[in-house]
Amino acid sequence: MRGQPPIPLPETIQVEYEPYQESTQLARYIQDYPRSFTRNPSQPLIRRPLTLSERTGPIALERRLAIDGEDISSKEPGGPRAIGQFIAVTGRVMDEDGAPLARAVIEIWQANSAGKYVHELDRHQAPIDSNFTGLGRFVTGAEGQYKFLSIKPGAYPVMESDWWWRPPHIHFSIFGPSWMNRYVTQIFFPGEPLNETDLLLNAVQDPEARDRLIFETTPTTVGAVNLLTFRRDFVLRGKRSTPALD
Amino acid sequence: MSLPTSPYCTIGPFFPGEFADGCGDLTSRDGKQARGQHILLTGSVVEEGNRPIRNAIVEIWQPDANGVFRHPLDPRFEDADPGFFGWGRARTDAEGRYAFRTVMPGAYATQDGAPRCPHLNLMVLAIGLTHRLVTTVFFGDGAQPASDPLLDCVADPARRARMFAIHDKLSNGADALPAYRFDIVTRGEAETPFFVD
Repeated sequence: MRGQPPIPLPETIQVEYEPYQESTQLARYIQDYPRSFTRNPSQPLIRRPLTLSERTGPIALERRLAIDGEDISSKEPGGPRAIGQFIAVTGRVMDEDGAPLARAVIEIWQANSAGKYVHELDRHQAPIDSNFTGLGRFVTGAEGQYKFLSIKPGAYPVMESDWWWRPPHIHFSIFGPSWMNRYVTQIFFPGEPLNETDLLLNAVQDPEARDRLIFETTPTTVGAVNLLTFRRDFVLRGKRSTPALD
Repeated sequence: MSLPTSPYCTIGPFFPGEFADGCGDLTSRDGKQARGQHILLTGSVVEEGNRPIRNAIVEIWQPDANGVFRHPLDPRFEDADPGFFGWGRARTDAEGRYAFRTVMPGAYATQDGAPRCPHLNLMVLAIGLTHRLVTTVFFGDGAQPASDPLLDCVADPARRARMFAIHDKLSNGADALPAYRFDIVTRGEAETPFFVD
C-alpha cells in the first residue's frame, strides 16, 4: 500500500442484499460427502430483517491483518522458488452491480505442487516444499483488482474416501465491506480431468454458475518473467441499483 | 441487470491456523485498549451427536461498548472506540472449543429509535458446510422479556434461549474477566438457530 494514494472507505450508501439464490450456489447436502449430512442444521433457516449490525462489517482490515507481497512462490523475495508451475492469479472483486470493491482483504491457501498442505491435519504422504507455505493475504486496489504469483497446486486424495481425489484448487476467503458479503470459496483450474468427478465443484447444478468456480486462462506470453496467468473475477453479494425493467 | 453472485464453498479440512493466530483478542486496536467491560466468550462447536468439530472457524462482528460499529454506515462512526476494531476470528481445537477476548457489546437505538439488545454477529465455517452458518448472539439468561428485531424472529422460547451467551463464572486468569459461554450446535437436539443468509 505504501506509495499509493489512500483508497477511500466504502461509501455510506444503502446496499440491498438478497438471500443467495440456490441455483447459483453449491447444494448444502452432497451425496458421498457425509459431513454435509451431520453438520448442516436440521431446522429450517430463519428469515431475519437486515439491520445496521448485518449491513456493517469489518473494513480497513489490512490495518489489522498482515498483508503479503504479491509473490508467494518463494518464502522471501528473491529466495528459492517453490517447485512447480509458476503462475499468476489475477482478477477483480466487485458487487452485483459490477462496482469495484476496493480495499477488500483476500486470503488464499493452497496445496503445494505435490498436493500437500502445510497443515497438521494433512495426512497425505506427499512431500512438504521447504520454499512454500501456500498462504497469502492481499488487498484489492481502487478498481477491485488483485494479483498474486504462486505455483500451481497439485491434486490430493481425500483420506476419508476410497476414491475421491481433489482436483487442483486454490481456497479464497474475501472480506467485502459488510458482514453480508463475507465470502469463502475454492477456485479450480480449467481442463483438469479430476474436475469431472469432484463432489464440491459438481455440487453446483447450473453449468454457468459452476464455471464461476473455475479460473479462466489468459493468452500466453513469453518475456522477461515467464508464468501462466489465470483469471477469476468475484461477484460478492450486494447491489445498490434498482434493476431496470426490460 | 445485476451480475450473479459467485458460488460459496466449504473451507475444507485445512484452514490455516496462521490466519486465526492473534485474531481471537479484540480488546485492543493500534496499541490502545478497548473501552468497556472486557469479557471472555468461549464455547464449543459440535455437530450431530454432540461430536466436536475440529478446525472450524468462528468469526464475530460487533459494536463497541457504546454500541457503535466501526463502519461508515453507523451514524455514530466518528465516535467509534479508537481501541476497538469489532472483528475477530477463532479456530476450534480437537475438542471443538473456541475462545474470544472481547468487550461486552453496547446496546443502541436504531435510527427509528427502536432498541437493540447487546449482541454480536457470529458465523461458522467448517468442512462439510458449503455455506457459512450465521446467527446472532445475545447476552443474559434469556429470562428477561427482551425485545429485539433479530430475537423476535425466533418464536420458540427454547430456541430463543439458545441465542444467549450464558454468564459462566469468573475465569481463572490473573485478570479474572467475566466469562460467557456460547455453545454452537450446528445440527442436533439443542440446535443453534441459524438465519437465512
